[in-house]
Amino acid sequence: MSASARIGKGYVVASTFISAAVIVVITGFLVINSWDAIRQSGLELFTSEWNPPKQKFGILAMVYGSVVVTVISLALALPLGLATAIFTSEMLPARFRLYVKSLLELLAGIPSIIYGLIGIVFLSTWVEHAFDLQSGRTVLTGGLLLAVMVLPTIITLWDDALHNVPRKYRETARGLGLYNFEVIRDAVLPLARTDVIGAALLGLGRVLGETMAVMLVIGSIDKIPGSVFNVLVPGQTMTSKLGREIAETAVGSLHFSAMIFMGLILLLFVLSLTIVALTYFYNPEQRLYE
Amino acid sequence: MNRSLLNKLFVFTTVTAAGICCAVLLFMMAVITAKGLRALDFEFLFTASRDFGAAGGIFYQIVGSLLLVVFAALICFPLALGTAIFKSEYLKNGHMQRLCAVLVYGLNGVPSVIFGVFGLIFFVNVLGTRISWFVGSIILAIMILPTVVLAAFHSINSIPQSYRESASALGLGKWQVIVKVLLPQGIAGSITGLFLGLARAVGETAPIMFIATAFSGVGIPGSFFEPVTALPTHILALTHQAINQQALQNAWGASLVLISLVTIFSTLGLWSRMKLKTMSLR
Amino acid sequence: MPLWIRVFSALLFVSLQFGCSRTDSIQIAGSTTVLPVVSRAAEQFRMKHPNLNVIVNAGGSGVGINQLGEGKVDIGMASRDITDVEIQKHPGVEFVTYTIGRDAVVAVVSSEVFDAGVQALSFQQIGQIYQGKITNWRELGGPVKDILVVDKERSRGTRHVFMKLVLGNKEADAPGADLVLGSNNEEQTAISQSDAAIGMLSHAWLNAEVKGLAIVLDDGAVVEPTLTSIVDGTFPISRDLFLLTNSEPSGMTRSFLDFIMSPEGQKIVEESGYVRIR
Repeated sequence: MSASARIGKGYVVASTFISAAVIVVITGFLVINSWDAIRQSGLELFTSEWNPPKQKFGILAMVYGSVVVTVISLALALPLGLATAIFTSEMLPARFRLYVKSLLELLAGIPSIIYGLIGIVFLSTWVEHAFDLQSGRTVLTGGLLLAVMVLPTIITLWDDALHNVPRKYRETARGLGLYNFEVIRDAVLPLARTDVIGAALLGLGRVLGETMAVMLVIGSIDKIPGSVFNVLVPGQTMTSKLGREIAETAVGSLHFSAMIFMGLILLLFVLSLTIVALTYFYNPEQRLYE
Repeated sequence: MNRSLLNKLFVFTTVTAAGICCAVLLFMMAVITAKGLRALDFEFLFTASRDFGAAGGIFYQIVGSLLLVVFAALICFPLALGTAIFKSEYLKNGHMQRLCAVLVYGLNGVPSVIFGVFGLIFFVNVLGTRISWFVGSIILAIMILPTVVLAAFHSINSIPQSYRESASALGLGKWQVIVKVLLPQGIAGSITGLFLGLARAVGETAPIMFIATAFSGVGIPGSFFEPVTALPTHILALTHQAINQQALQNAWGASLVLISLVTIFSTLGLWSRMKLKTMSLR
Repeated sequence: MPLWIRVFSALLFVSLQFGCSRTDSIQIAGSTTVLPVVSRAAEQFRMKHPNLNVIVNAGGSGVGINQLGEGKVDIGMASRDITDVEIQKHPGVEFVTYTIGRDAVVAVVSSEVFDAGVQALSFQQIGQIYQGKITNWRELGGPVKDILVVDKERSRGTRHVFMKLVLGNKEADAPGADLVLGSNNEEQTAISQSDAAIGMLSHAWLNAEVKGLAIVLDDGAVVEPTLTSIVDGTFPISRDLFLLTNSEPSGMTRSFLDFIMSPEGQKIVEESGYVRIR
């Protein structure tokens, strides 16, 4: 083997090693830094009182906030996105499809901070007036904003998923005398199901991990409301808590460690979602059609 | 219910949904463009901001954002290319392939704020770099790594086996085949991926806001370990004073510029795909 | 050599060149109350020292003290005293404080509430609002509207000073709070957007939409938040604004601090809406 070949091989091996190690290092650092909190607070981390001066670090309010915001945004974005993807993939004439797809990709690229700006200037005031609230910075506002934010991504992914199903299946189904909606319901959707579920999981991960837009509109109070179904009150998500508080916590303190623990929980959750989505669903090898 | 009616209902539902989505998304575009254009002029683009962003322009924010992503590209590209080559040409064991894919693409599943937190712990605290744009670039490079690796891998892996075989038959060693045959062919896809990654990196706020940017007093940094100001963090600061009309107008202007940068990077990505593909075929 | 390799090496070369050139910089972070003063001072200071970057970052007093303690910045900005816990957290650090000006923390309300007649409250009343015992402006002679109680992040200087007087403990809980926000700007925005909000702000952030309440003292005297009452010390919630360093500063950090203490620097303090101390 010549010298350049040896260097070359070394280079590719090293870069692969680095690329693969990054995620292990990130997780490792979070585990190490959250160790103090796990040891000292233990199960108390899963209570709902977060009060640094009293050394109480319960992350439940933030977990609750993240869950509720995610449920709201997906409850809106998934049905709307599916119907729209069916429209763009199955009904829209091909020559418009390219434009619509480009527009969607452009929208999917809008940075989240700009969604935050729109949320503060428009959405939160609308929510305030529509429900006659004291403040438009609520869990609902966060959920709505994330729904809008994740829509373009979800539609593009689902449009591809449906469009990838070969024409022949549709033609056969139609040949059997099925109506359009039956073709989609009984042939296209079942065949595209792995991609569809995968894309939904990726969307879920994206919503859970989103920070800037939520942080600006959610009100940032670490409280679970009296009724857990009341979404018209301010709240806090894990991401917004991290975004607001991590810089002011002294490294090495229990406070810092508890923040990192929360980050670790978030990471593990979103990471496993993504890996499951990529390995079992959103994966060409798992497709149900040739 | 009869099927024809159901079908009509179904069509109606999808059209309505598409209409709602269109309306929402077009509203967003219209707002940003209309409000942004009002703020945008030559002076806005080429002067420094004054009065905490409420007056003046966004010159240093644009410079800072570009600096962050250009270095992210410089760091990310060689790493991604090497990884893609190894994955495509050397890694033949199925289990290892899968493990490698999970580890690298798993990075896509790391929430952006976690990258910021990791940067804060690892670089700023453990390595003691202080708040530095270079650390921001490293973190952004890590963030876009999976996008670039995926694109590079696909373009290298999809080169027909016959190319490799004919090159070997001519007496080229494995590495020579990679350098002389596969790289020129595969580079287009990698660059496309790089630009798409940059389009994402340039708009990110959460990964850089604790570790790479400062509020004011930043010009062109004099060394690797100084903060910059960037467009997303500038918009964040301006959003906090959304009640000040002048600041708000500048926020819209900065948003429009940021979206334009995102669009430019995406377009460059698509352009490089077409341009470089034709080159390599020649 | 293919084009892309050449482009890449050129960029790498330029970047190395650039990495080797070096200018000095002072890094500052912390309180958003002190921020305007320091940012303006930094701008003027740079005109005298063109090769120096004075980099200023926000975050709040907690961030300023913490980052100074961890050696991430040269100067921390704070609008409150350092707590004992903070001193314990950074055992190797010798905090040196410089008082650069005085400010008042004012209980503020949305202009709608102010115009409807709520213009002065006592500490007890404000305290009850933050504890959630008073929830409607009607109870205080104002409009029939639920109060939007705006709190601040816990380590913020403004909150420490305010809570110490209103609830007797600088880190008091505020169970009545509806929103928790950060910087003065963010809080000012939320209060102007609402028509029934109460919050706490530095005196320099009052405007037509965000009105400062007068304080009713125990003896019945009413003190309005004006510059005069802050200067003569009759306004009850006033505080010093600090810059902090780790041990006695030297070099450019020293010169910058001297500049802020100079007549020129003190003029900036005054222009930013605070009270000069020299």
